[in-house]
Amino acid sequence: MFRDATYTDLTRTEAAGEETAAFVMDEETFRGFYERTARGLWAYLVRVTGDRALADDLLQETFYRFLRAAATYESESHRRNSLFRIATNLARDARRRSLIRAGSILMGERIENVPSSVDAAVSERNADLSRALANLKPRERAMLWLAYAEGASHEEIAGVMGLRASSLRPMLFRIRKKMAALLGRKPEGGAR
Amino acid sequence: MRHVECRFEEDVLSAVVQSRWPERVDPQLQAHVEGCGICSDIVAVAGTLDADHDEMLSAAVIPEAGRIWWQAQLRARREAAEAASAPITWAQVAAFASAMGLIGACFGASSTWFQAALGSIKSGVSKFELAAFVSSVAAAVGHAAFALGLVLIVLLVPTALYIALGRD
Repeated sequence: MFRDATYTDLTRTEAAGEETAAFVMDEETFRGFYERTARGLWAYLVRVTGDRALADDLLQETFYRFLRAAATYESESHRRNSLFRIATNLARDARRRSLIRAGSILMGERIENVPSSVDAAVSERNADLSRALANLKPRERAMLWLAYAEGASHEEIAGVMGLRASSLRPMLFRIRKKMAALLGRKPEGGAR
Repeated sequence: MRHVECRFEEDVLSAVVQSRWPERVDPQLQAHVEGCGICSDIVAVAGTLDADHDEMLSAAVIPEAGRIWWQAQLRARREAAEAASAPITWAQVAAFASAMGLIGACFGASSTWFQAALGSIKSGVSKFELAAFVSSVAAAVGHAAFALGLVLIVLLVPTALYIALGRD
């Protein structure tokens, strides 16, 4: 299927003279956009799904759906938000499928300790973070990551998650508090 | 009332993501964070996630853009071909079914025994006579195997053809 084709196969097929599929975006633009967004999107998918292999698959699927969407975008951030919205929906669908399959390990219950760093302090922090994230719902993980790792605005997060921007602040407040408690920095602090 | 926002949270978040926290921030802001649940949560959560984000970006192993592009091209082509072939398949099935129907109609129009059986059924039904009905049924049953075969051809062959082509 998708990942099985080799680069040589692809080149050979192209050399055979088949027509180029019509995407709205040209290859050069896509390459630039991919270079700017793919790593961040991969990190997002790994943290939301908790599964590195699944994140690899969803990354490719996300870019394919993005290319096939044939949409035009007002700006780079609009385009980027659209990409993350596609990824969020795919991650949600993947979770539903895993729930339907009712496997012994449901997506998100096992959060991989992603970057394998030789730095002990970093490894410990990753382990703490992975444990904390495993106790959040996928949607909560997504919102936190977009807000504090991707630096997205409330409007952008609302667009990606399909929520109203006005409801985002109290939701983020609650999830952030939960996450802080899970990280063990604060047992349960109240608001000011 | 329970507050969900603090007017300093944007400043605190900026300091954290710009790696200015805690050394390069105003001492007053530091003092505020110590007493503010919202801002201290932001420091804890944003600091951890932002650091993890940087780690993951450097650790990420992603396919080359060109590979993704050409795989997408191949897949789009394949899906377009599949989408284009689906209506043709349906058209083929419909044409075949029509042809079978036409053959059946010609057979019905030219076969004397079939017309006789139909006439018997018609008269039997119109007169509500049991004896005539039984005789017409008996006449039809005499050729039931042939009629059944015709029905099977008209109904089942297009279905089988569709399934066979659909699997391809």
